[in-house]
Amino acid sequence: MAAVAEQVTSTGLRSASAGRNPWALAWRRLRRNRLALAALGLFLLLIVVCAAAPLYAHDVAHDGNVLGPNLNGTTIVHGKVVPVMQEGGGLLKLGETPIGPTWNLHHYFLGADNIGRDVAALLLYGGRASLQIGICSALLCCIVATIVALIAGFFGGLADAILSRLMDVIWAFPVYLLAISLATELLTHSNGIQIGFLHVSATSLWTPTVIIAFIYVPYVYRPVRGQVLSVAGKEFVEAAIAQGASNYRLIFSEILPNVVSTVIVLLPLMIATTILTESALSYLSVGVQPPNVSWGTIISDGQDLLYTRPWVSLAPGIMIVLTVLALNVLGDGVRDALDPRAKLRVR
Amino acid sequence: MLTFIIRRTLWTVVVMFVITVVVFFIFFKTPGVDPARALAGRNPSPQTLAEVRAQLGLNRPLVVQYGLMMKRIFITRNLVSYSDQGQLVIPEIFAAAPATLSLVFGAAIIWIVMAIVMGVAAARLRGRIYDPILMILALIGLSAPVFWIGQVANLITQGGLHNSVFSWVPPLGYTSFTVSPLHWFTGLVFPWITLSILYIGFYARVLRANLLEIQTEDYVRTARAKGLSEQRVLLRHTLRTSMITFVSLFGLDFGALVGGGAILTEVVFGIHGVGFLTWQALQNLDLPTIMAVVIYGAFFIVLMNALVDIAYAWLDPRVRPA
Amino acid sequence: MRQIRPKIAYLAGRRTTMASLAGLAVLALAAAGCGNSAGPASKSSTGAVSAHPGGVFTILANSSFGVADPAQNYTLEEWQLLIDTHDGLVGFAKVGGLPGTKIVPDLATSIPLPTNGGKTYVFHIRRGIKFSNGQTLTPSAFVTTFDRQFTVPGPTSFYSDFVGASKCSVKGCNLAKSGGVIANDSAYTLTINLTAPDPELMDQLTLPFAYAVPPNTSPKLTGNNVPPGTGPYMWKSYNPNTEAVLVRNPYFHVWSKVAQPNGYPNEIIEKYGLQVSDEVTEVENGEAQEVFDGDQIPSDQLSTLNSPQYASQVHVNTLTADWYMALNTQRPPFNNLEARQAINYAANRTAYVKIAGGPSLAVPACQILPPNFPSYKPYCPYTTGPQTTWSGPNLAKARALVKASGTYGDKVVVDSTNDQVGTELAEQMVSDLNSIGYKASTQLLSGSVQYPFVQNSANWSKWNVAWSAWYQDYPAPSDFLNVLLGCGSIHKNSDASPNIAAFCDPAIQKLINQAEADGSSNPAKAAALWTQIDHMDTQQAPWVDLYNPKQIDFLAKNVHGYEWNPQWYILIDQLWLSK
Repeated sequence: MAAVAEQVTSTGLRSASAGRNPWALAWRRLRRNRLALAALGLFLLLIVVCAAAPLYAHDVAHDGNVLGPNLNGTTIVHGKVVPVMQEGGGLLKLGETPIGPTWNLHHYFLGADNIGRDVAALLLYGGRASLQIGICSALLCCIVATIVALIAGFFGGLADAILSRLMDVIWAFPVYLLAISLATELLTHSNGIQIGFLHVSATSLWTPTVIIAFIYVPYVYRPVRGQVLSVAGKEFVEAAIAQGASNYRLIFSEILPNVVSTVIVLLPLMIATTILTESALSYLSVGVQPPNVSWGTIISDGQDLLYTRPWVSLAPGIMIVLTVLALNVLGDGVRDALDPRAKLRVR
Repeated sequence: MLTFIIRRTLWTVVVMFVITVVVFFIFFKTPGVDPARALAGRNPSPQTLAEVRAQLGLNRPLVVQYGLMMKRIFITRNLVSYSDQGQLVIPEIFAAAPATLSLVFGAAIIWIVMAIVMGVAAARLRGRIYDPILMILALIGLSAPVFWIGQVANLITQGGLHNSVFSWVPPLGYTSFTVSPLHWFTGLVFPWITLSILYIGFYARVLRANLLEIQTEDYVRTARAKGLSEQRVLLRHTLRTSMITFVSLFGLDFGALVGGGAILTEVVFGIHGVGFLTWQALQNLDLPTIMAVVIYGAFFIVLMNALVDIAYAWLDPRVRPA
Repeated sequence: MRQIRPKIAYLAGRRTTMASLAGLAVLALAAAGCGNSAGPASKSSTGAVSAHPGGVFTILANSSFGVADPAQNYTLEEWQLLIDTHDGLVGFAKVGGLPGTKIVPDLATSIPLPTNGGKTYVFHIRRGIKFSNGQTLTPSAFVTTFDRQFTVPGPTSFYSDFVGASKCSVKGCNLAKSGGVIANDSAYTLTINLTAPDPELMDQLTLPFAYAVPPNTSPKLTGNNVPPGTGPYMWKSYNPNTEAVLVRNPYFHVWSKVAQPNGYPNEIIEKYGLQVSDEVTEVENGEAQEVFDGDQIPSDQLSTLNSPQYASQVHVNTLTADWYMALNTQRPPFNNLEARQAINYAANRTAYVKIAGGPSLAVPACQILPPNFPSYKPYCPYTTGPQTTWSGPNLAKARALVKASGTYGDKVVVDSTNDQVGTELAEQMVSDLNSIGYKASTQLLSGSVQYPFVQNSANWSKWNVAWSAWYQDYPAPSDFLNVLLGCGSIHKNSDASPNIAAFCDPAIQKLINQAEADGSSNPAKAAALWTQIDHMDTQQAPWVDLYNPKQIDFLAKNVHGYEWNPQWYILIDQLWLSK
C-alpha cells in the first residue's frame, strides 16, 4: 500500500522577498485554526503522558520491572489477593488466562497480557517506543530526503539523473515488502546495522527507526525536489547567482529556507505514516523487539486473547487512532497555514 | 508519443531488473538458511549436503546462480520452493492470486462508490455541519491501522455476537467462488470493508478538495452563468474533471494491492492470497518464493505506474520530456 | 524429532519434524507406557453401538506437511497417514498404551535374529500381498526403498551403516550390487548386511523411510505424489494447499491384525489451511472429526474445552518430549559449569509451565530423559525440595554460584522463535537470568530459521541460550542422550548439528559407547548405564530443561475407540464413527 501519494504542482511559500515574515503569518493562521490547535494539544499531551510512563509504572511494577514477565505474580481485586494468571476451570483445567481489567488504576487497570504484565503500564511504555520511532524516523527521513533533493535539484544533470533513478527503484518496491525484508534480514544477522563506527544492535529501537526512515525517503524526495527545481528558477536566486554567490550560499541561504516549508507541511503527515508503519511491522513481529514494547507489539500479543481479553488489543489500537488522527488534523492545519493554496497531499 | 512509451517501458524493465538483483542479494547470504539443507532432508550427512549443493548449482558464482533462478522463473517455469520441495513456486502464486483479486476488486468497488458519495456530499454541503463531520470520518479512516480494524471486525463478528447477529459470517479464511459463491461473498464482506476504509478516507478527501478547486475554474463559472443547475454543473463538469486525478491515483493503489500489498488484511483475516504467501515466504526466508512474489508484485506496481504516466503524457503533453 | 511452531497460530505450518542420528545403541524397548486419557469416556463404551466400518473421517490441519514422498518426509503429520497406507518389514504394534511400543513383524513373517556377528539379517517376506496399484509385493521392493533413501535423498544417516551405502549418492545407488540389501524374489527373502552391528536397526526399520514402494518407483523425488503402498488405504490425492484424500485400498487384506489391522472409516480426508480456532469450532459442531493442531489451540478456546460438555471429546496425554533452553557451552559465560548450574537453579519452571498452558498441559522438568521413557528415574538436583521432582527455584544457591563462577554481570543473548510461545519463553528466561545478575537480551527468529541457526557453529558467537524442543523418534535413551548431547552429534559449520549446546564430555561419551555396546548383549546393564548417563548429563547442566509437554487431542462427538499409541499418537484408522 503506497502510504503516501502526492501530486505537486506548486507548493511552499512565495519567495522570502515577498515582504512580511511568512513564518509569523503562518503561525497566526495556525493559531486561528482551533481544530488544529486542539490536535496539537492532544499530540503533545500524548507525548507527555507516555514520557511520564515510569511515574505510573512505579505504582504498578512487580519486582521493580514493568516490562518483564510476571507469571507467578498476584494482585488485588476488591481487597482480595488473586493470582495474575488464572488456571482454566472445569474438569481438565486447560490453559492459563491473564486477569481482565480491574478498572482500578493501581492494580491492573486494563488487565494483564499473556505473561502477566500490566497492560495499562505497557500502553504507556509502548507509546514511548511508538512515538519515538515515529517522530525520529519521520525526522530522519525528511532530513535525508531534503539533502538528497537539494543535491539532485540544485546540481541537476548526472547527479539528478542517478539520484532520481535510485529513488524510483526504492519507490517501485512494495513498501511493506521492502520493510519486512530489511527487518527480517537485520534480525537474522543479529549484528544490527553498522554505519561507519556507529553500531545499532538488532533489538534496539533504532533498527525499525532506520528501516522506516529509509523506505519513505522517495515519498518526501519527490515533492521536495520539485520545490527545489521551482525555487532554483526564481528571480531572486538568479539575482544571487548574478551577484556571484557561492553554491554553499545559494543552497543554504536562498533555496533551503524556501524548501523548508514544504518539508514542514509534510512532517506531521510523515509522523502519522511512520507510526502506522511501525505498528504494522511490530504486528508482523519484525518491528520492535523485546524487551521493548510498542503499541503494535501489544496488539500482536493480544491477538491470542482477542475474545476473552479484548482490551489487550483494543486499547493500543485506540491510542494509535488518537495519535494518528491528531497528527493528520494538525497536518491539515499546518498546510493551510503555510500555504493555503497548496495542492500537496499526503495520506 | 511512441518514443515516450518505448522509453518508459525500457526503464520499467531496468527497474524490475535492479529490484530482483537487490532482493537476491538481500536474501542470498542469510545465516541459518542453507537451501541445500532444506532440500537434502532433515538430517543430512555433510557429504549429501555437498552433493545437493552441487546439483542445485549453489557452489557456482553468484551471477550464474542469479541467472539460473531467473531462467527457472521465466523460461523453464519450474522454480521450486526452498521450504517445500514438492511445491512449484509459480503455480503457487497463481493459486493464491484469485483470493487476492477477489479481496481487492470487492474492496475497490466499495471504496470508489463510498469515496465518491462522501466526497461529492462534502463538497456540495460545504459550509454546513455535514462537511466537517464527513471529513473527520474520512480522517479517522485514514488514521486506524488496517490490521487493528480487522481485529475489531473479528472481535465483533466472530466473538460474542457470532451466535446471533453475525451467525451468517463464516469462520475466517477464504472460500473459493467455485466452491461456494455464498461463502465466498459472506466470508469477504468484512475483509472488503476493512481494506476499503483507509481508501475511502483518502479518496473522499482528495475528491472533495479537487471538486472545490475546480469549482473556481472559469469554465465552471461559465457553465453556472449559463444557468445550468448546481447539480448538473457538479456532475457534468466538475466531477468529470476530478475523475482524472481520481482514476490515476486509483491505478497506482490498485496495482500495489493486487501485487500483494494487502498483506495485513490477508494476514488478519487468514486469507491465503499473494500477500499472505509473501509474508510466509519472508518468515521462512524462502528465496525462490520471495523472488517470485517480488517480481509479481513489482510487475503490477511498475505496470500501473507506467500506465498512469503514459495516460498523463497523453492528457498533458508538457510531461513528455521528463 | 523436532517441532517447529509458527508465529501467529495460523501463519506458518506446523511441521512436526523429526530429526535424529542413528546412533549405535540398545534395542531398549522397555517400559514406555504413556497414555493417561483424561476424558472419562475414551473407551468404546459410549452407547450400545459397537465398532463398525464406514463414514468419512476428516482431520483439520493448519498447514500441510510439505513434500509427500515417504523417502523424504519427516513429519508426524504425514507419518500418521503413511502408517495407514504403507508397511515396512516390521512396525510398532498398532494398539494403544504400553503394547504400542512393541515392534512386531509386518511385511516380514517374523523378526529375524542377526547372524554374522550381528551384521546380517535375513527377513522372510509374506506372499500374496499386493500394492494398491495391483502390483504384487516382492522382496525387491525394499531394494528400491533403501536405494531411494540415498538418491532422493532422505535422512541417509539412518541407513548409512548398510554395506555399500558409502558409495551411494544423489547421483545413484545400487545396494543390491554392493551387497547391502539382497532380494531373492523366488525364495521371498530379503537380506540386509551391515558394516557393524546396530542394536537400533529394528527401530529404524519401523520408520516410514523404510516402507515398501513398488520396485519401479522413480529414484528421484516424487514430489507430492505418494508411491503406492500395501496398507488398508491408498492416497487418492494430495495438494499441500487444500487437502489429502485417502480411500480404501481394494487389494488389501489383513495378514497381521496387530501390525496392520483393517481400518474403520471408508475415507480419510485431511484439510489444510485452517486457523486453529476454526478447526476447534468445526469439530465442536461435528463438521469434522479431529483437530490436528491441539498444541496450538489459543488460550481463549482452551477455556471453552474445559466445559463439561466436551469432557468426553478431549484427550490429554504426556509426550515423551523435552522443551529446553540449550546453553552454549563453547562461549562464556556458559562454558563455566557453575554458571550453567546457576541458571538451572534460578529458572522458574512454574512460569514456563504457565506459558505452556498450565499444569494440565505441561510438567516441569530438570533432567534430560522424559518421564515414561526407558531408563528414566526421576532426578532433579536444581530445586529446593527433595531432589526428585521440581518444586521451586533456589535463587540463593543460584546467586552464590554466579558469584563463584566469576560471570556476574556478563551479557547473555537468549535466542528463540518469534511466535507467541517462543517469545514468552525467551522473556521469562531473560527475567530469570537478570534475577541472578546477568545482562540478558533476546534474539527472536522465525521458527524455520531459528533451528538451523542455533545448530550451526558459525553462529556460536551470536547466542548464549537457545530455545529448542525434541520429541522422541523411537523409545530409546540414545535418541536423547547421544543424539542431543553426544560428542558425535556436533558437526562444525553445518546447519544439521543436533547437539545445540555443543556439549561434549569425554567421560560421559565413554559411558554412552559402553551402553551402546552392551545394548545387544546385556540390556539390563545398558538400561542402568543410561540412567546414570542421564543423571550425569543433568549434573553437567548443558541445558535448562523447562518442561515435558502434553498433547491435546480434540475429537468430534461421533468418534469412538480413541487409543493413545506412544509412537504414532492418535491411530486415525482405528477410530470408528457413529451417526
